[in-house]
Amino acid sequence: MKPPKFSYVAPTTLDDALKHLASDPDAKVLSGGQSLMPLLAMRLAAPSILVDLQHVPNLSDIEDRGDHIRIGARVTHREIERSALLADRLPILSAAASHIAHPQIRSRGTFGGSTAHADPSGEWPTILLALSATMQAVGPHGNRTIEADDFFVGPFTSTLRDDEILTHVSIPTTRTAWSFQEAAVKKGDYGLALIAATGTPRGGVLVDPRVTVGAAVGSVTRLVAVERILTDEPLTDELAEEAAVAAAESVKPISDIHGSSDYRRKLVASLVRRAVVELKNGA
Amino acid sequence: MSITPEERLNVAMTINGRRYRAGVEARKTLADFIREDAQLPGTKLGCEHGVCGSCTVLLDDLPARSCLTLAVQAEGRQIRTVESLADGQELNTLQRAFREQHGLQCGFCTAGFLMTATALLEENPAPTREDIVETVSGSLCRCTGYETIVAAIEQAAADGAEGNDDAKDGAQ
Repeated sequence: MKPPKFSYVAPTTLDDALKHLASDPDAKVLSGGQSLMPLLAMRLAAPSILVDLQHVPNLSDIEDRGDHIRIGARVTHREIERSALLADRLPILSAAASHIAHPQIRSRGTFGGSTAHADPSGEWPTILLALSATMQAVGPHGNRTIEADDFFVGPFTSTLRDDEILTHVSIPTTRTAWSFQEAAVKKGDYGLALIAATGTPRGGVLVDPRVTVGAAVGSVTRLVAVERILTDEPLTDELAEEAAVAAAESVKPISDIHGSSDYRRKLVASLVRRAVVELKNGA
Repeated sequence: MSITPEERLNVAMTINGRRYRAGVEARKTLADFIREDAQLPGTKLGCEHGVCGSCTVLLDDLPARSCLTLAVQAEGRQIRTVESLADGQELNTLQRAFREQHGLQCGFCTAGFLMTATALLEENPAPTREDIVETVSGSLCRCTGYETIVAAIEQAAADGAEGNDDAKDGAQ
């Protein structure tokens, strides 16, 4: 279980990092390494060169920008878990961080690394899609922003290009109603199903609700049928039941050694029901 | 700094208050640096892909899996391993609690549990049982069934263990 051989560079500027990344089609970015290192150990990845971002400045801040919070790609899960700013303004992130693996992983793994990795069972992809976040990437041809809806496109696949680096994620703070639900065999294990639900409460109803599912499906996905049910309707236990039924009907869960498709479908329905009840109590 | 797969990079870090320097391949893990280059074999490698927690060390005072960190990523950092805990032959409070509560049998996972618990007690000297269970959930033990490990950490907290402050001070 030793990593294969690779070249290594630790640039001190973003420009240099981009140059190294563009110099080789098999170059890979190294951030915290908590997903990449196991892939290397199991020889599932064989990058020619690792471009380590540890000395690149300005990627490690959590900034309050009024109607949104901007999080640097190198901020660790542990820092998110303990951020007073996030506990106040985006508590869904604080709540979800404790579900990410274990303390030893959270101290090293990074927000941007997990987001770019686009693991369908990842907490951040599921939540960023529900929060309508915007990814900020930089590449050889300059900066661009990518909406979460256009970012996560498949299992371990985002629309970030090979020569681009995800630098920041901007998250609107207007979605103050939220719920995050995760079912895992054991705390810290990969989830069997994740549900994130958010919306802006106004006059007893939710404006523009977004509900997403992760882990139970091959790629993080919005549950549009559920969102439609929740839109502009007073949240009740009956509505939660209706949402759960719609979720079960619309989701196409994966089946593997950890849980059958049918079992995950039931989990998704239960988690959606709980999420709506939580939205009701919090909204 | 930049190296090809065939080259070695000079890496220096402080482990248990002592400076170590060696030329390493980019792919060398921190765990292998600690065991082979620093010759500190207390840190154990179980799964080598981040699942078992046996290789947990403190990296700038935070628990980290040394198999999921490259040695080159630890350049200039402060590392503490299980060897930092005892004072000569004298076990520290946490180690004594593990012995008294039978928090180990074969001992292979123990270094990882000790370093994970050290980080917990340094940050939170009075953890709840739930805090302890949550913290040790990242380490696997196939002997004890965990109850005695949790009991040992509870006892260490009650006995006023705050990690090994001497080693921590020495490392800074």
